[in-house]
Amino acid sequence: MTFASIVDWNALLETVIASVVAGLGIVTAFSIAIYGAARFAEGRRVGAPFEAGVAATLTVFALLVCAGAIVAGIVAMASE
Amino acid sequence: MGDDVVLVIVVATALAFDFTNGFHDTANVVATSISTRAMSPRLAVGYAAVLNFGGAFISLEVAATVAEDVVEQGAITPTVVFAGLIGAISWNLITWYYGLPSSSSHALIGGVIGSTIAAVGTGAVIADGVVGEVLVPAVVAPIVAFLIGAAAILVAYRIVGRQRPGTVVRGFRLGQIASGGLLALAHGTNDAQKTMGVITLALVANGTLAEGAGVPFWVVVSAAAAIALGTYTGGWRIIRTMGMRIHKMDAAQGFSAQGAGAAVILSSSYFGFPLSTTQVISGGVVGAGAGKRLSAVRWGVAGNIVVAWLLTLPAAAAIGAATYGVTRVFGTGAVGPVIVAAAAVALIAVAFARRARAGAPVPAG
Repeated sequence: MTFASIVDWNALLETVIASVVAGLGIVTAFSIAIYGAARFAEGRRVGAPFEAGVAATLTVFALLVCAGAIVAGIVAMASE
Repeated sequence: MGDDVVLVIVVATALAFDFTNGFHDTANVVATSISTRAMSPRLAVGYAAVLNFGGAFISLEVAATVAEDVVEQGAITPTVVFAGLIGAISWNLITWYYGLPSSSSHALIGGVIGSTIAAVGTGAVIADGVVGEVLVPAVVAPIVAFLIGAAAILVAYRIVGRQRPGTVVRGFRLGQIASGGLLALAHGTNDAQKTMGVITLALVANGTLAEGAGVPFWVVVSAAAAIALGTYTGGWRIIRTMGMRIHKMDAAQGFSAQGAGAAVILSSSYFGFPLSTTQVISGGVVGAGAGKRLSAVRWGVAGNIVVAWLLTLPAAAAIGAATYGVTRVFGTGAVGPVIVAAAAVALIAVAFARRARAGAPVPAG
């Protein structure tokens, strides 16, 4: 039996890909949410309601992506 | 009767290991949240304990790997499992004493392998399972967490770098409450299962369960409770190492490290790799530091942690094997496990008393 056949490389590769996508995806989405929140606060401070509205929408959308990713992760684990 | 006494001792020892697992690994879950002041220490460990408990009910994939793919079920006895657990507990307490975040998972697997070899030789160790499902993922996972942590902090700084610091820090602290919770859930899912796997192994060895049987519900509940209690008790020495000694973290780094760690642990649990949460979180923490600036990381501390990782499996195996040898001096009945368990409890009490006298860090808040 060779080393290559002992390790389930497909499962390992899928684990790595899932980890990278989930880890980077959540941090990126949450950073965008914070960016939107900061721009929303700035828009309100300088009296730019349209910009503030766009920023708020961006924040809500990014937070929904984060929440969706977390729920998807838990559901995927629970289904094993 | 004697067999049942041994089984009761094994189950109690497994739950004691689970407690030390939670106690030892609290740092993985809460250190970054505490060091960035996202949560107070007491709130952080309470929150982690509750989610550890819940996480233990999510999946049993890792428990199956520990119970079936490390050693041959038919070749081991409850005494072998007992000796392996003593090996794991001993290594956990030694590394806790020195404040080193080593792997409870590898201590457990090493302890069981060592006692199995001492009892029946190397033939009962499933080398393919150990290499393919434990050792290779153990090398890959912390490297992946390191790279994700480093890349994630670069992305985060790139996106929020020019915004007002107050909003950014508050935002990432709030995010850490969620990412810390996810990490606690992942820790409960991954680590409580290892104890479930070992108890299942003992029940099979005793003839209480058939080979290949699933994990009984009472095993799931008791393992979840033990790890949650250990987490709530909190291993403050390791929290200090993980949260402050590797590098001084800001909230964005804490969030990136936790996000990277949770992603790797949850993905691995899904595919049934029983990896070390400690190694993964340490990888994420070092990555989040190195991504900002290489010199921000205290590489000496990181090096000590890596040395502890390398020693964990063989050291726990050696203690497990020695424990099995001592137990067998008293014959094959319950006397050996009873005497060794009593000696272990006495040694643990002495270690805690010495550490308390030396002045263990006390949490504020």
